[in-house]
Order: sequence, then structure tokens, then C-alpha cells
Amino acid sequence: MAGGGAASVKFDQVQKSFGDVKVLEEFDLLVESGEFLVLLGASGSGKTTALRILCGLETPSGGQVFIGDRNVTDILPKYRDISMVFQSYALYPHKTVAENIGFPLKVRKVEKSAIDSAILDAAKQVQLDTLLERYPRELSGGQKQRVALARAIIRRPSVFLMDEPLSNLDAKLRGHMRAELKHMQEALGITTIYVTHDQIEAMTLAHRVAVLEKGVLQQLATPAEIYNNPANLFVAQFIGSPPMNVVHGSLEGEHFQTNGAKVETAVSGRVIDGILGVRPEDCSIAPPAEGTLDGKIYTTELIGDHTLVTVDRGTDQIAVKASKDFNGRQGDNIGVVLPRDHLFVFDAITGYRIR
Amino acid sequence: MSDASYKFEKSGRTLMEQLFEPPAVGKMSLVAKIVAYTFLAIWSVFVLFPIYWVIITSFKDAAAVNQGPFYIPFVDFQPNLDAWRAQFNTDLHCDLSSILRQLYLLVHNSFVFVVSPVISLTPMEPQICKIYLAFTNSVVISIASTILCVTVGSMAAYALARIQYKPKFGNILVFVALIVAVIFATTYAGIPWWASSAVALALFFFLVRSIGRYFRMALGNGDILFWIISQRILPPIVVVIPVYVMFQAVGLLDTHLALIVLYAVANLPIVVWLMHDFFASLPIELEESAQLDGATRLGIFWEIVLPLTRPGLAATTLLILVLNWNEYLFAVFIATVKVQTMPIMVAAKNAGEKGVFWWEMCAVIVVMIIPVILMAILLTKFISRGVLQGAMKG
Repeated sequence: MAGGGAASVKFDQVQKSFGDVKVLEEFDLLVESGEFLVLLGASGSGKTTALRILCGLETPSGGQVFIGDRNVTDILPKYRDISMVFQSYALYPHKTVAENIGFPLKVRKVEKSAIDSAILDAAKQVQLDTLLERYPRELSGGQKQRVALARAIIRRPSVFLMDEPLSNLDAKLRGHMRAELKHMQEALGITTIYVTHDQIEAMTLAHRVAVLEKGVLQQLATPAEIYNNPANLFVAQFIGSPPMNVVHGSLEGEHFQTNGAKVETAVSGRVIDGILGVRPEDCSIAPPAEGTLDGKIYTTELIGDHTLVTVDRGTDQIAVKASKDFNGRQGDNIGVVLPRDHLFVFDAITGYRIR
Repeated sequence: MSDASYKFEKSGRTLMEQLFEPPAVGKMSLVAKIVAYTFLAIWSVFVLFPIYWVIITSFKDAAAVNQGPFYIPFVDFQPNLDAWRAQFNTDLHCDLSSILRQLYLLVHNSFVFVVSPVISLTPMEPQICKIYLAFTNSVVISIASTILCVTVGSMAAYALARIQYKPKFGNILVFVALIVAVIFATTYAGIPWWASSAVALALFFFLVRSIGRYFRMALGNGDILFWIISQRILPPIVVVIPVYVMFQAVGLLDTHLALIVLYAVANLPIVVWLMHDFFASLPIELEESAQLDGATRLGIFWEIVLPLTRPGLAATTLLILVLNWNEYLFAVFIATVKVQTMPIMVAAKNAGEKGVFWWEMCAVIVVMIIPVILMAILLTKFISRGVLQGAMKG
């Protein structure tokens, strides 16, 4: 039943509009065979549309889609050799777990005995083999998720699609399933395209992350590259928790001026309406007047291994990761040190990064 | 922070509250309970008494009816089987067991009829009584037309729920204009109908392909749905004469086929309307998932959609079955002799100058309502909730 193993996926200038609304603009993407690629974006960014175009549930308004070297733009979903895990799992409620898992083979008229052994195989892979006679309504959220996974892997498709598969699980289970997904993808070696709005899932799972916003691909790179070297302001702010601090001001030569303060930067240029970006873990707390910038403590939050200190500077707020025994009080004056080599400067209007 | 505070807390209940306020969320207050149950009790009498009255009247004779009202059998009047005997073959020895055997025969033979696709009734055994004929006709016609109607209707409803149609308004106008042209050509110019229709059909496709693309205004699924339901706007009494003439023209008067088709068409809008809502409320992801899994559209309909809409389907089927079973107006026009149905039998007991044979009418009514009750019990088993539970997140 398995096709020719994993296959690459190529989006070639794919466009999609619903009426006058463009949800995907000249989308180009090449996913290598066996790769785990995450499509990351906020809701409405076009990531799900891209996935639905790939699986054939949506027709592109322009451009072509390839799986391997087959042009699949105009063929029905069932001929594309793909399977998908839906956000809602989409289990058939009137079928048992076994019938759910075996459905893709049953509709393809595979022999009964072959189906049965394949069901057991797939179920074992996701530790469901003891629950085969149950109905979906008798399963917990995590178990339903596993049924959806098993149904997707039973055919050994050449491409595996997932549309926010973990978003309905509670936080603990999500972390657990994330690890299992990653392990399974590595073990099966199936090309996987995974849609999510959760940057932690993207960072932990992906070989490469494609960040989408307003139907335009913003950056395609490894998780580390995306984090350390964001292509523009959107990517910089989207990735990271807590998000990157933004300080409004202007860049004059090698100095960024904001609200009466001057910050030395590694880049130089002249931007009237600029944004200085810095990650909370790169900043540090200093006594008043000894930091790069001054401010008042807005609030402090003990996270566990660190304290998150929010410093209010009137125009901007800066979050700083301080040590867990930080004991400043709300309203205290305080300084923030911004290291020159970890600063990003962006054009506030276009979002472009100044390099 | 303002100092104003609004406190509604309290403990204990006054007498008025005990009477008029429910003791807990999801319960009723004492007064509300009394009012509700009194109303329900009165309503039950309204609903159940006619059934009781029909049943006991069927065991009365002319004297017991005319000198009545008598309410309680064995006390007010002596029940007898005269009315029932009259319904079944008078040649047969008519005691209770033979009547039961007749009833059994009715049911048994009805099923034989249903399984063999019938168009016109096979010759009856000569000693078979009229009620047997009517009962069988009713069973055959209402079941066949219900199956036809629900099958076609639910498929149409599914298509309307899942496929976006955009018929161009201009093309519809072209179609209507061509139909008018065909009618004129056939009636006034003497062109045979098949020739004019063939030309019109060819012309239609030509026009749609050539000028069709200049039309902008299009209709949507909502318009189609409304058009379908609008077929029920005209009261049946208005259309019954044209329908009669139509069936006369094609030589189908007094046949099962005529009534089956007529009932199916008349009830189609109800099925489409009801089933459309059930289909539209199904999560579309189930069908998308099945599509990716490799199922065909018909396969999805059969394997996924129908089982999940079973409660709705059962309710719709029951409704249509009852509507067909009770239909009188079309039957009285179309079914003149051979395919008379039970409602006509009931009406026939109003025998003109001799007055109404209430006791016999009630016997026929009892025969008529038993299957409806059985069907309702059977189908309510399918009208259960919770079929969709577990499909989605959670």
C-alpha cells in the first residue's frame, strides 16, 4: 500500500483568493523528502489554506503544487497519496477505533486480513492496541489524537499533513504528544508538513520553519536561525516567549535614540521611525543610572527559574529576565543593560531589518 | 475603587418564595408545578379520549351509538363484533380468531406486496374484503412513496448542503423562454412535441455556451432551497385538477404508480428542507477526512453522512410516512376503484342517506391507526441523541 516512501513537496507560485481577499500570494516552498516542516503563522496568515491546497480540499487560484515529481494541482485528494490529521481529529463517531484506523484501507478495497494486521500495527505504534473496540466518545482527548494519528499512518503516505493537531490537548499532554510526534516522524521518515500558531511547537518539532503572515512567506529557516536571526520585525516578534522587546525611536549612525537615551548598536544607518528589538534573556538589570536605559519597575513575575521584570519607560515597556531572587518592588527606579551585539534594528513602517 | 457595593445575598425563604420561586436551578416552583401538571392532565384527556372513544365505538352496534352516549363497555352497553364483522368477508365464519387471522393476513400480505415492486395490483382473491384491499394499497403506496421521497430528497439536500451551485439567472430565463416556445410550437404550429423539444434542447445548450458567459447575475444554494420549498406554497386543492388531467393524459389514473409518484413529489420539499439542516450541521471535517482517506462522494454519503444523520432521517421518514398514510385529497381524485386507500375507506362509511356508520367507521379507523403507532414506536428507537458525540474535539 505504501507509495514510493517519502516524497518532496513543492509549491510553485501558488496563489489563492476568496473573492477579493488574497489569502496566499505567490507562495513558493520546497519541502525536502523526509523533512519535518512547520508552517507557522497567526490565524488568517494563510497557513491552513496552503495545507488545504496541498491536500486538494482547496483549489489554488494560480500556480502549481508538486508531490515528488507529480504535478498534483488538478487531481483529487485521494490520488495524492497524503494523509492528514485534523485539528478536531475528525474521527468517525459511529465507527470503533479499529474501524476508524482501518477506514483508509477499507475504502481502497484492501483485503480484510491485511487491513486487520495493518490496524494492529498502526495501533501498536501509538499504543492504542488495547482500545480497538471502543468508540471515539469513550476516549480521552489524547487517545482520540492517537486514533487520528494511527489513521493517518496506516497507509504509509508519502506526505503527512497536520493541522494544529495538538491545540485541543491540555498543556501537559501537549508536551508529551509533541515528543511522541517528533519521535514517530523521525522513525517513519515521512515528509511532514505541520501547521501551527504555537511557536514552541514550531521550534521544538521542525527541521525548518516557514513563517507566514498575510499570505506572504516571511522567513524559511531552521528554528535556531529564525530565533537568532529573524528576517524582519514580524518574525522577531512572533518567535520567542516572552516576545522580543520593542523600543521605539530613531537610528542615527551607530546610535539608536529613544526617549532621551542613546543606545549603541552594531549596525549603522539612518532610520527616522525605527524600532530597537532585544530579547528579554539578553537584557540584564542594573542599578538606577548604570544601565543603558532607565525606567521604573512596572511589575515582577516569578516564573520559577527566573523572574520576569517589566520595566516601564513611559513610551515603551521592556521585559527583562532577571535572577529568581530578584527583589525589586513595583515603582522602584531601575536600569536595564542592553548588550550591543544582541540588538536588532527594524524600520517601524516596513518592518525590514537594518543590517 | 469605589465604595459602592451591591449585595443581593440572603438566607432562608419566605412563604411566597417557597410557593413561587424554584428551590434550585433546573427545578420548578410549587405553583408552577401545579399549573403545569394540571394543564398536562387536561391536555392528555383531550388527546387520549378520542382514541378511547374510537376503540369502544368500534365495538358498539347501531343501537348503542344512536341511543348513547355510552362510555363504559359492559356497564353502559354490551360490546359486540358487528362492526368488525362487516369489514371482513361476510362469507367467512366471523369470530374473534378468524378476525385475528384476517388481520394477520393483512400484515403478512402487505409485506409480500412491499417486497415485490408493484405497479398495478394483482387480481385479488374473490372472498377478500374491501378493507384488505385498501389496507394493502395504503401500505404499498405510503411505503414506496416514502422510500422514493426520502431517498431522492436527502440526496438533493446533501448536494445543496455541500456543493455550491451558481446557476446564472440569464440561463434560467433562456430555459423558461424555450419551454414557452415549445408549448407554442406544439399547440399552435402542430410540430410534434419530440421534434420541438429536441430543437429547444439543442438551442438551449448552444445559447448557454455562446451568450451564457455574458450573464452576471447568478443564484445560490439558498435560492434553490427556497425554490424547492416554494413548491409547497400552493394548496393541494388548487393543483389537484391539473394533476388529475395530467395523469389522465398519460393513462395512469387509478394506479399505484400515480399515487406513489404524486406523494413523493408532494413531500419532496419537506424532506429536502428538513434533511438540509441535518446535513449542514454535520462537521465538514469528517467528510474532508474521508475524502483524503480515499472515499468516493457516494461512499462518504453512505458510510459517513447517513449513519450520522440517522436520527434526522428517522424523524423525517416517520413524518413523511404518516403524511402519506393519512393523505386523502389526492387519493380521492386519483384512486377511483382499484387503488383506494384507507382514508377513503373511512370516508366511505358516511353512506349518504343512511347516515354515518359510526361503528364501522371506527373499526376502520382502528385498523388505520395501529400501523402508525407501531411505526412511531419502531422509528423512535432511531431518533436518539448522541450519535455525533465524540466526533470532534473534547
